[in-house]
Amino acid sequence: MKQIVEMREALRQALDEEMTRDERVFILGEEVAEYNGAYKVTKGLLDKWGPRRVIDTPIAELGFAGLAIGAAMTGLRPVVEFMSWNFSFVGADQIISNAAKMHYMSGGRFSVPVVFRGPNGAAAQVSSQHSHCVEALYGNLPGLLVVAPSNPYDAKGLLKAAIRSNNPVLFLESELSYGDKAEIPTDEYLVPIGKAKVVREGRHLTIVSHSRMVLVCLKAAEELAKEGILVEVIDLRTIRPLDIATVAYSIAKTHRALLVEEGHFFAGIAAEVGFEINEHCFDQLDAPLRRVCQRETPMPYSRVLEAETLPNVGRIVHAAKKLIKEG
Amino acid sequence: MYHFFPTQKEEALASITSEELIDDLKRMLLIRHFETRSEAAYQAGKIGGFFHSYIGQEAIQVAAVRAFGVNNWYTTSYRCHALALLLGATPNELMAELYGKATGNAKGRGGSMHFYTPELLGGFGIVGGQVPIATGAAFTCKYLGQKEKVSLCFMGEGAVAQGAFHESLNLAALWDLPCLYVIENNQWGMGTAVNRAISVQAIAEKKAPGFNLKGYTLDGMDYFHCLQAFKAIKAEIINEGRPVLVEAITERFKGHSISDPALYRSKESLTACMQRDPLQILKSTLLEKGLLTEEQFVALDKEIKERVLVAMKYADESPWPDPVTLEEDVFAP
Repeated sequence: MKQIVEMREALRQALDEEMTRDERVFILGEEVAEYNGAYKVTKGLLDKWGPRRVIDTPIAELGFAGLAIGAAMTGLRPVVEFMSWNFSFVGADQIISNAAKMHYMSGGRFSVPVVFRGPNGAAAQVSSQHSHCVEALYGNLPGLLVVAPSNPYDAKGLLKAAIRSNNPVLFLESELSYGDKAEIPTDEYLVPIGKAKVVREGRHLTIVSHSRMVLVCLKAAEELAKEGILVEVIDLRTIRPLDIATVAYSIAKTHRALLVEEGHFFAGIAAEVGFEINEHCFDQLDAPLRRVCQRETPMPYSRVLEAETLPNVGRIVHAAKKLIKEG
Repeated sequence: MYHFFPTQKEEALASITSEELIDDLKRMLLIRHFETRSEAAYQAGKIGGFFHSYIGQEAIQVAAVRAFGVNNWYTTSYRCHALALLLGATPNELMAELYGKATGNAKGRGGSMHFYTPELLGGFGIVGGQVPIATGAAFTCKYLGQKEKVSLCFMGEGAVAQGAFHESLNLAALWDLPCLYVIENNQWGMGTAVNRAISVQAIAEKKAPGFNLKGYTLDGMDYFHCLQAFKAIKAEIINEGRPVLVEAITERFKGHSISDPALYRSKESLTACMQRDPLQILKSTLLEKGLLTEEQFVALDKEIKERVLVAMKYADESPWPDPVTLEEDVFAP
């Protein structure tokens, strides 16, 4: 059986199913309960599960992020919603110094099965303090799993896998994607953490991306197809651990790679993927790697400037064409 | 300035068996010898990194663990050696951890600031970083309906200036979490005197009402006072299901860490605080009450010192971690 659902509903189903499966799973965050979620991901869950398991917090990211980590260390499985991943910076010490390091630092004595989730990156004109992409920052920390789905199917399956993981998972969503619809099974399914996916096959060029930018890459691929350039698009789905094997297989076929990331150029995910390509399949490359990322400014407010700084179809098509001509 | 928690020494004495008292004296001696010998090992180059001694503060955690029992959740700062010993970690595994050996408490990955037991969530290296964690452990107690279980959070007075302290106390008070926050005010945040860092004194008495909590001041040098106060506070937390804030007035006898000669503190003030050595206060009471003789004390002292020397030998002879294990345990299975 199939159902057509929005991204927010896919996420809500994942939460609801995992709360049904495991009594230790509970949700906490700002406005998740009585308000039904700032983006309605947790809609109806307070009514169903009650205030013991769906908990509104005060505006205290450091406090409730740390509380969730402490609860996870002592036997529960919290799912924390950040209203924006930009607010996680207030609680970053707990994520970085405690969640990421605890299992290793304690010699394996304590694990931290916690999920932090919420919208990451740009929305619509929310300016610099609400638009930063956090995956490059948190991706630098051994001990964290970083997941960034692009569509409702993956979002549901990956969130369920994240809640079942015995490690801290940072689950990055996109505000602009909460209304995206897709057909997903009504039966239960999981999507494994750490597996990338070829979402469009091609043979001239591989584009590697994640989260909402995958959709922009697919549009660019359609434009390029009109000119006979057949692009293979890979959705990383998980940033860490990075599935470089799927990327390498594709490059063995296309011999060219373009890396597209909503976040910034400097020390970004594209930089990491690019270096791993160099390490694993340099001999397969017929042209230098290229990347399209967010330009090196804080996010501007103006619609015109915002569109200019983010990767878009035009910039991706332009970079792809240059790549095809090279080598 | 302080309104000390009302206690009666005779009542405290009556509430504990002589075996338990001797046992707690032995625990204080173990902490003292463990810290002293590991400082010597540090100076000999056997131990690296940071090293923060608990000497001078022993009465607080010895009394707290006696009053509450092991079967609770515990967290503390990087000054964590004593609490790990009190909760049952062996001198061998702790000394081996300090030496960075494979047999160490955390396989040689944590070091001096990160000791653990099944009940001890750490040794935390960031000032105040353990306070939200302890609050989460208290949340678990409440979520699971474990009415006899409490989360105990020890911190230095320096942590009171951190946002984590305020956010945690607000959450614990708001949600009625069974958490005991113990500020061990040892007068110094590294080289900064408490009155240069914290805007109010007495800290617990003044801060607690702002969270709608009870706040108590304890004489952290007096084991009997701490014991009776912690027993009363335990009953209060369990009966009322509410967190409590405690400030235990103490003073560390050593520098902030092993590399700190404590030049900011005068010899006179150090000598003055050492007049109220918690170990001597406990010992002299036991002598007065006829529960201990000087000869017995000398024998106990020797026995425990030898126990720590055995731990040093064990640590010395233990294998280094195998480099092939370097990348293990970054993630839980």
